[in-house]
Amino acid sequence: MNGALIDIDGLSYAYEGEPQPVLRDISLQVHEGEFVLILGPSGCGKSTLLQLLNGTIPHTLKGTLSGAATICGHPLAETKVSTFAIDVGMVFQDPEAQIINTRVRDEVCFGMENLCRPTAEILDRQLEALAFVGLEGFGDRSIFDLSGGQKQRVSIAAVLAGRPRLLVLDEPTANLDPAGMAEIFAVLARLNREHGTTIVMVEHRVDELADRVSRVVMMDRGAIVFDGAPREAFARRRAAASEEATAIPLGAWFPQAAEFAIALSDACGTPLPPAEVPLNVPEAVAFASRRMGELEAPPAPSAPAAAKTGEPLLRVDRLTYGYDRRQPVLRDISFTLHGEGIVALCGRNGSGKTTLAKLLMGINPPPRGKLWIGAQDIAGLEPRDIASRIGYVFQNPDHQFVTDRVWDEVAYGLTVRGIAAEIVTERVGEMLRLVDLERYRDRSPFSLSLGERRRLSVATMLVLEPRLLVLDEPTIGQDYERAQMLMGLMARLRERFGTTILMITHDVRLVAEWADRALVISRGALLFDGTPAAMFADKPVLAEAGLLAPPIFDIGESLAAAWPDSGVRPGVMLTALVRSVMQSRQVPA
Amino acid sequence: MSRSTAFQFRAGNSFFHRLDPLTKLGWVFGISLLAFGAYIAWVQIIIAAAVMLTALVLARLSVVDIVRGTWLFGLACVSFWIIQTLTLPGKHVAFRILGHPIYAESADYALASALRIYTIVLASLVFVRTADPRELAIALVTQMRVPYRIAYAFFIALRIVPTIEDEIKTIRAAQRVRGVAAKRGIAGRISETKRYAMPLLVGSLRRAEMMVMSMESRGFGAYATRSFVDAPRMRASGVAVCCIMAALVVGWYTALVMGYVHTVYVFSTN
Repeated sequence: MNGALIDIDGLSYAYEGEPQPVLRDISLQVHEGEFVLILGPSGCGKSTLLQLLNGTIPHTLKGTLSGAATICGHPLAETKVSTFAIDVGMVFQDPEAQIINTRVRDEVCFGMENLCRPTAEILDRQLEALAFVGLEGFGDRSIFDLSGGQKQRVSIAAVLAGRPRLLVLDEPTANLDPAGMAEIFAVLARLNREHGTTIVMVEHRVDELADRVSRVVMMDRGAIVFDGAPREAFARRRAAASEEATAIPLGAWFPQAAEFAIALSDACGTPLPPAEVPLNVPEAVAFASRRMGELEAPPAPSAPAAAKTGEPLLRVDRLTYGYDRRQPVLRDISFTLHGEGIVALCGRNGSGKTTLAKLLMGINPPPRGKLWIGAQDIAGLEPRDIASRIGYVFQNPDHQFVTDRVWDEVAYGLTVRGIAAEIVTERVGEMLRLVDLERYRDRSPFSLSLGERRRLSVATMLVLEPRLLVLDEPTIGQDYERAQMLMGLMARLRERFGTTILMITHDVRLVAEWADRALVISRGALLFDGTPAAMFADKPVLAEAGLLAPPIFDIGESLAAAWPDSGVRPGVMLTALVRSVMQSRQVPA
Repeated sequence: MSRSTAFQFRAGNSFFHRLDPLTKLGWVFGISLLAFGAYIAWVQIIIAAAVMLTALVLARLSVVDIVRGTWLFGLACVSFWIIQTLTLPGKHVAFRILGHPIYAESADYALASALRIYTIVLASLVFVRTADPRELAIALVTQMRVPYRIAYAFFIALRIVPTIEDEIKTIRAAQRVRGVAAKRGIAGRISETKRYAMPLLVGSLRRAEMMVMSMESRGFGAYATRSFVDAPRMRASGVAVCCIMAALVVGWYTALVMGYVHTVYVFSTN
């Protein structure tokens, strides 16, 4: 024992029946009061590492374990999960799946009731825990009436009530919109600062976390490849292997402020010492300001894109819709798509985005004369006919699978439409090659990894060559790099088929990097229709829709305000910002 | 967006909501005993009216709630009543339909049988709508000495029904988008169910694994017993309801045995 709260020494672990270990020779020490962020690609073993910290591995999920681990003074191999429950609190990704009770108070009391604490103490602690997460007076509320962010705060309150020494969180904001995410990170930072609670957390939304954590651990293929201070972690580019063994840049989990500093230093040809790595927007602005000077003539702002003409691909005309007439979910929505590439449909959880998409697909019966695909009223089409014009990729790919074999899955849509066998064979073969799943043609769809299942569900839609593809929340429950890979696939498929993509999302980095146009829905009404850059510049729209501008936009905005004559303009592309800073820079001799 | 089903708990503050779950269970049991013991239509009419009044006044269910929850059973009961009325034998002709004799005994017995089913369904609706599954599980532990692990298994089974309903709706929508046509009839339903089974099973197993981890990580199963905050207790009102039901059941069956109950046909031959 050396006083560490977590003391893992040379630990390896393989799941029962799996030949390859998922954790390899892990050594990690975490001391009281630390806030540790664990980063790594999907399948690198980070969630498995978290499950060790309360004994779920090896006691609930069996397997082969070697090496030694002591958590909160208890030897891992000899301590049951229920004993760890006193010292270790666990919060998982999906609040829906981890909440057991139906009333807020019952959920917060649940853990202490299991530990047979006296009633008076339980009631006091649940009040305290709810107050800490900002949910005073919510005790009698039904879980079903809460937003995603509130549910996750209930999950945190449920473990805080037991006053754990160690709080372990596995991507707690993966299912939340930016407003919900900000709520959770604020609570965690306060918990660590004011109560000294040790926090170990896996999370890929690093922009809002990088300046709050005290330490970063990076993993790759079951091993720890970096362990140190955040500035050191983000001082240089790194690469790792993804679940499907393809090398991907670890920049996917870098804060944009640090990414910007690396790119700017590279462009300037100057080294970036770790002490100078910015972790948030003000630090990045200060960093860039040190490299800026006077500018010659500022470049003229780019002209707005000309309005498209001709027959629209999709027309939504004064659409009002609701399950209950007195409370419409969508109110007087109008917009037109002309095949602009990738269009983002943004808004808070529950704002009406998915309802609109379901109307487009005929899943909810669309009203007549309100939704048009080309010259055809969607209300007059059968769901099967709509599906050949508009593809829809659901959040959970498993829901869409209808056969037992990958090849059959892609062929299904063509077969039920009576396409000739030789054409089916040709198109399915081409599609499987495009999504890189040809080698799995005889496997069950359910046996693929999540990233592969996503690609398969996209392939099942695109094989019908729809003119419009709707992607429902491509980042919900997904790692950032999986979403990036999916969007890369979209770009390739757009080139091949010319499909327009309507992406329902609240992931601002995805919008900034990929979207050509953004639509914002708030409380059922269309609040904004324009470019992503214009959306991020419109603060009232962002506030109303619970969105946050990506750090790169905020950095550009702050630089433009501080150096009005520099020619630096806020934008959504990191490379463009670096270029404009370079142009404004007076290069020292 | 999901809409809740009629047979599902809804929070409220009616007299029935405030009763403890075991009293409500006792009330349903008592009503069932009374209904099963009554083979005469006028008695069944009184029991059905009393349960309907309880649903409307003491449980504060709306007429719409009652219709949504029981219309299917109501239709089945009416069909049952008509078929039995037309087919059961009798002695005294009450009236004729298109020349076909309708006997007072058969019409009366058929009405009693149909109302019996409807009364029990309605009483069950009152119970399900007013009894929180969690409170029922706790009551089973604290008042009936059922082991808490079993009671929680029962509670979680009830708790996830709406979630599974929602997931089935999503799977159905997702598969319709793939071009799977909605099927009618029993054979169609069976083939649809087969198609839903795999995604539903995969999703349910993942959810179950997560629930187990969430419960264990919060000490569930650490000790042979656990404490309960807000454990429901039988109050004076609950004792009164139980006593009244017990008296009615005992009184009714005593009256039956002693021969005090006389048949008066609803559909009189006079």
